[in-house]
Amino acid sequence: MLDWTFLPLTLNQIISPQTIAYALAALGLTVHFGYSGLLNFGQAGFMSVGAYFFAITATRFGFPLWASVLAALVGSTAFAFLLGIPTLRLRADYLSIVTIAAAEIIRYTVQTPNLTALTGGSDGINGSEAGFEAINPIPDRVYKIGVQPYTNDDLWVIIVGWVLVGAAALFVWQLMRSPWGRIVKGIREDEDAVRALGKNVYSFKMQALIIGGVLGTLGAIINILPTSLQPDNYGTQTTFFLWTIMLLGGATTVLGPIIGAIIFWVVLSLSDGFIAVLSTANIVPLSQVQQGPVRFIIVGVALMLLVVFRPQGIFGKKKEAYFSA
Amino acid sequence: MHATRQRPFPRAAALLAAAFAAALALALTPAAAHAATTPIDPSTAKESILVRTLDNSSPPAKPLPNIPVEISGDGYDVTTATDAKGQIEVGVPEPGDYTVTIDTSKVPSGLALPPALKASRTVTVDTGNKQVLANYIFVSASAAQQSSRPSSGATSGPSSSSTSESPSSSSSGSKFSRQIWPSIVTGLVFGLLLALASIGVSLIYGTTGLNNFAHGELVTFGGLMAYTFTRLVPLPGPVAILIALVLGGVMGYVQDLAIWRPLRRKRVALIPLMIVSIGLSLALRYLFQIIYGPGSLVMPQDSSAALSIGPVHLTGANLWAAIICIVALLLVAFLLTRTNIGKATRAVSDNRALAAASGIDVERVIRIVWTAGGALAGLGGALLAYYQTVQWNSGSLILLAIFAAVTLGGLGTTYGALVGSLVIGLFINVSAIWLPANLKFVAALIVMIVILLVRPQGILGKRDRIG
Repeated sequence: MLDWTFLPLTLNQIISPQTIAYALAALGLTVHFGYSGLLNFGQAGFMSVGAYFFAITATRFGFPLWASVLAALVGSTAFAFLLGIPTLRLRADYLSIVTIAAAEIIRYTVQTPNLTALTGGSDGINGSEAGFEAINPIPDRVYKIGVQPYTNDDLWVIIVGWVLVGAAALFVWQLMRSPWGRIVKGIREDEDAVRALGKNVYSFKMQALIIGGVLGTLGAIINILPTSLQPDNYGTQTTFFLWTIMLLGGATTVLGPIIGAIIFWVVLSLSDGFIAVLSTANIVPLSQVQQGPVRFIIVGVALMLLVVFRPQGIFGKKKEAYFSA
Repeated sequence: MHATRQRPFPRAAALLAAAFAAALALALTPAAAHAATTPIDPSTAKESILVRTLDNSSPPAKPLPNIPVEISGDGYDVTTATDAKGQIEVGVPEPGDYTVTIDTSKVPSGLALPPALKASRTVTVDTGNKQVLANYIFVSASAAQQSSRPSSGATSGPSSSSTSESPSSSSSGSKFSRQIWPSIVTGLVFGLLLALASIGVSLIYGTTGLNNFAHGELVTFGGLMAYTFTRLVPLPGPVAILIALVLGGVMGYVQDLAIWRPLRRKRVALIPLMIVSIGLSLALRYLFQIIYGPGSLVMPQDSSAALSIGPVHLTGANLWAAIICIVALLLVAFLLTRTNIGKATRAVSDNRALAAASGIDVERVIRIVWTAGGALAGLGGALLAYYQTVQWNSGSLILLAIFAAVTLGGLGTTYGALVGSLVIGLFINVSAIWLPANLKFVAALIVMIVILLVRPQGILGKRDRIG
């Protein structure tokens, strides 16, 4: 008998904090790549830096919530400067290698034994949500959405998260309609032309890098609030998930990354569920250990197919999907 | 390219010498002195000794728990005791000679050590050696008196050269040179292995403009094939390595035929191509995991030293890896400079349109580059499997080191990839003397970023390539 109980549960992925986190980070990546043409392969690094600044200041130094958030934003801005200064003057593929390297540097470094007192080593950091839950106005009882029960703290994260997503989307949408947005889109299309107009291309790229990175950081904060901060959740595969989400929805749209994140997580949890059901019924010959990697194969193949056959994604316009090389 | 063709080797040599000088300069700055007499957690230490106390009076051997153990040397002195399994792993601060002593008075009466085993002995720990064995295998007291010769089970353990070396070698050099030379030699071997993969990345980048993120999977593929053909289909190592090389080439060829050529025909731009390679890397890597499982796979090999020069011990596998790498790299250099197809490759690398206009079949060159790149990566992967172990993601773990090497040397320059690989290989291994094990790649990546700051085109790159 096949067990289909996972089906209604996958619907809850639509609103899950993970979806919110990836929507925000992918929106940041859209600012980087979709609008400004920056090949950032270290978005996981931006997330990780922000998450660590938030969690360390909240748990180790007892900062209030607002100060921890501020620290996270300062941290990711500093990270953007650190990455941008050596690479933004160089050709695009250098930025891609340096950003992916920087994200890995962060992931290795926080797990150093000498830093364990601060970063929690490989175990990460628990308990950074105390300040956030202290201001939770929702009455303490269990709420049910679909078949999944939520505590008041779960709901609080979800509500704040989606308000953040809405605000960020509005911000990016307005930003890209502004003169600033037209300049960065111009840089994406033809850097030299924008330079010829007397604009400081380097400075605009840096600003775009900071804005996108800050969005990634906000996503990471939402991600760790209901669970904990785990360094290995911010490896290269996270960045590749974000790229898939962005390309799925449309790299030059505001709604694209958000809808992309929803589709991505629903599809992944559906595929996990189906594979688990089919292999328990011995229809697919996969052991428990072998089921985990399947989702990564799906993402990898999806990424290849998307980029080749529908580079504009679901919502994008074909004309804007031109990748400058 | 043509004007500078004659020069790369001397230049590379000079740079290599500079790298050595830098490494030596680092070597002369004194390392922070360890004066720890508190026990070092063996899970974080880079070197450790594993003491085992066993009762073999009536085989099979049973553990002897709670035997006091003292480990001392170089100002480090720890007293502990074996656990319920009759063993204790003790971290040591740095490589060197340590005296291991057990308190035989706590051993149950009626048991004694065979004459060949001393209660107090010197154990030599080389750089990066963990769980260097010190076995204490007790037999019944009567048996110990009878046998004047050591029984086969009572020697000082199966672990390599490192346990039973006379302390006289320490007098030949300072403690520091005992650390640095093995690191430099293993670093060079690792650098040569990296070079096999890096040259493929560099050639593919040069001829097609693609930054191949899926190159690590070609390396993994080579390693897994070597494993498959030595372990699952028991064939001798050299045959398996050859098969890995050939299959790596086939893999590269098929990849080009099935994916990259159709995409070039479709005129897909370079950035989408790069993203395709990322997707391919993700899909292949996890496919390997499904087939070979998530654990690391060990190649059958002899870990005893085949060559010992002073403090440096090279295993036969590492020695052969270095020789094979050098031969392969010389062959590549010969092919690139002396044969028509090599010259064509360099021409395409230099200016694709011009090469096509002068009658070079660009598609054929690219096909050969993919095949050769895959074969070199397959060979590198197979040798890397002997150098360390092989697992589903071993290639992607070194992908960033490969990129660092290629960027360091200059994107798209073949000799640059070689020089960059050696520098990165040295850096990863030598920095491990001071840095915690998990930071060894960090040092290499930081070097890459710093180089990009001061010399963005890399060591041997040309300025016009940075755009």
